[in-house]
Amino acid sequence: MAGEEEASRKKGFRLLGILDVQNIPCSRDAILHGAGGSLGAGLLHFLATSRVRRSFDVGFAGFMLTTLGSWFYCRINNAKLRVQQRMIQEGIKNKLVYEGTVADPTNKPGADTPSGPT
Amino acid sequence: MAHPSQLGFQDAASPVMEELLHFHDHALMIVFMISTLVLYIIIAMVTTDLTNKYILDSQEIEVIWTVLPGLILILIALPSLRILYLMDEINDPHLTIKAMGHQWYWSYEYTDYEELGFDSYMIPTQDLSPGQFRLLETDHRMVVPSESPVRVLVSAEDVLHSWAVPALGVKMDAVPGRLNQTAFVASRSGVYYGQCSEICGANHSFMPIVVEAVPLEHFENWSSLMLEDA
Repeated sequence: MAGEEEASRKKGFRLLGILDVQNIPCSRDAILHGAGGSLGAGLLHFLATSRVRRSFDVGFAGFMLTTLGSWFYCRINNAKLRVQQRMIQEGIKNKLVYEGTVADPTNKPGADTPSGPT
Repeated sequence: MAHPSQLGFQDAASPVMEELLHFHDHALMIVFMISTLVLYIIIAMVTTDLTNKYILDSQEIEVIWTVLPGLILILIALPSLRILYLMDEINDPHLTIKAMGHQWYWSYEYTDYEELGFDSYMIPTQDLSPGQFRLLETDHRMVVPSESPVRVLVSAEDVLHSWAVPALGVKMDAVPGRLNQTAFVASRSGVYYGQCSEICGANHSFMPIVVEAVPLEHFENWSSLMLEDA
């Protein structure tokens, strides 16, 4: 099992040798969006101005802005999902622990409590 | 556990380590963007045909490269401080364990209810069973209940040591005459490995830490068995 995990992690591609695009959540989507944004911005600028060098600069700026925008948007959504997941896990754990007791969150108020074994 | 030629963190086994992983991803993306920007600027500077021998200063660029790094630092500092204070929160531990560092082994004491203590020596390479990990396995593991806050009081009997388990996001120096406290919650059952993280002599590399997180029922059975054997 450790061998399979090692093999899959070794295949991970690192951008600039540091960013593990496959294993970091949101990174792949951010980089792809950035590439698309860069291409779009650079191409549009070139078509409008015919200036090659400046179009490269605009394309790069587009890459930075699109990547960062996509990254933070995805990370914020991920963080919200993680919070919800933890709340659900806590709720399930509390339900199991407190089921049948006074602290049971699903207890309806005013229900008759059993008087004990007869 | 770690695998050969691993560069990144191990998978998180506690909520704190999950937060640390996410912060690391955040900081790494910022570092990656800065590196890309610098690389692009270098290439642009090297490939340009334009020169200006008379430029002296520029207010605009000075403002940009003062304000932007400040903003980037704030972007890194805020999540970092959040996690720093999160790690210090008092979490009402269900169990307290004392981890004492010796030359060259760890000893664990479970003294909440009964007096339970044992030493944890590394299993020598020649005594390993097939499937066991070299330099990481111990004869007795520190068993803890999973999904329960556990407090670890770390100290040392002789020289400085450090009790560290990367998967749980825990590292605490073991200082003779001082009691350091750390806590963790093992999110899932499993076996988590660590190694002494402060140079402590000839066998510093040969006093590993193994934490085994098990369901509460199994933990109770284990502690009963250990007390009977003691």
